[in-house]
Amino acid sequence: MKVTLRIRRFNPEHDARPYWAEYIIKDVAPTDRVLDLLHHVKWYIDGTLALRRSCAHGICGSDAMRINNLNQLACKALVKDLVKGDHGTIQVEPILGLRVIKDLIVDMEPFFEHYRSVMPFFVNDNPPPDGEFLQTPEQRARFDDTTKCILCAACTTSCPSFWANGTYVGPAAIVQAHRFIFDSRDTAAQERLAVLSQEDGVWRCRTIFNCTTACPRDIEVTKAIAEVKNAINRGGVD
Amino acid sequence: MSGLFTTVREVFRYQGREGQVAWMGHRAAALGTVLFFMIHIIDTSFVYFWPEGYQHAIALYRSPLFAVGEMVLIPAVIYHAINGTRIWLMDWKPGLWKYQRQITLATFALTVLLCAPVMIIMGGHFIEGLGLFGGQ
Repeated sequence: MKVTLRIRRFNPEHDARPYWAEYIIKDVAPTDRVLDLLHHVKWYIDGTLALRRSCAHGICGSDAMRINNLNQLACKALVKDLVKGDHGTIQVEPILGLRVIKDLIVDMEPFFEHYRSVMPFFVNDNPPPDGEFLQTPEQRARFDDTTKCILCAACTTSCPSFWANGTYVGPAAIVQAHRFIFDSRDTAAQERLAVLSQEDGVWRCRTIFNCTTACPRDIEVTKAIAEVKNAINRGGVD
Repeated sequence: MSGLFTTVREVFRYQGREGQVAWMGHRAAALGTVLFFMIHIIDTSFVYFWPEGYQHAIALYRSPLFAVGEMVLIPAVIYHAINGTRIWLMDWKPGLWKYQRQITLATFALTVLLCAPVMIIMGGHFIEGLGLFGGQ
């Protein structure tokens, strides 16, 4: 099949504003991924195209981008799900709400700043009883879903609240906080809830559900955010 | 401000589902209702500050343009109330997220259902006022 790949390109050193570049790629297999098409452009057509990717298998979360106006990982988006018939167009743009450095690469620092603000690490200064902290399967299941986050930013940059106000911590940071807030072994839940109850915390979430749809790991993001909201209202996780 | 422009532009481009549509409707309904309240507060203040202007404002309200505006206002208020309840429910009971699509569609349907009688009555008066279909 033949695919026209429309890429939103921008090089701040040369371009006054972003523009659409089109590349026609022949002999595309339906099971090819959008990342394969981007590789084809970069390796055989135009080496100046800039994009991030690392593992290329949906684990590292480097290649989140807007594909046909929906946040996805380029390494997981299959051509057959985007193009019907023998010829079609796939549109690729950088994720929204973060400054574009070049082409599909955005400045992730504000995203990671929000991530760091929620203390995304295990806190417990007590000595482990009998050599380790024990946990029941039920206690583990409480936060199992949010351990799957790969920090790709697909959720945060799909959120209209984040587009409107970049100071909002965003769904990804709340998911990361949820992972530790509901961990029975952790002792810093109150500190995290204090951070998330501030003006730019969970209350900027408008329960739009774009984050849940965008998550490539199928994390129930909006549900996790609602659980954190409820924990704040109750004054704790118990 | 660029964030506001980005948001307004991209909500029409980004392929969000019913949740995004519900949010857009919620915001539009709120802005429309606030606009109505502002106009209403200003024209009511004319009673004290500018009585002739108040009579003029009342006459304007009887124009077809404002009649249509009032017909938009009723669904806006009803939708905003029902959708607000939906958001509260989804936040209060996170486990309902699996049914969020159905609950959102039910919100749209309930809005239409509740607006229908009002629209029929107001629409009848509107057509009567225009003198169409044998009206006065």
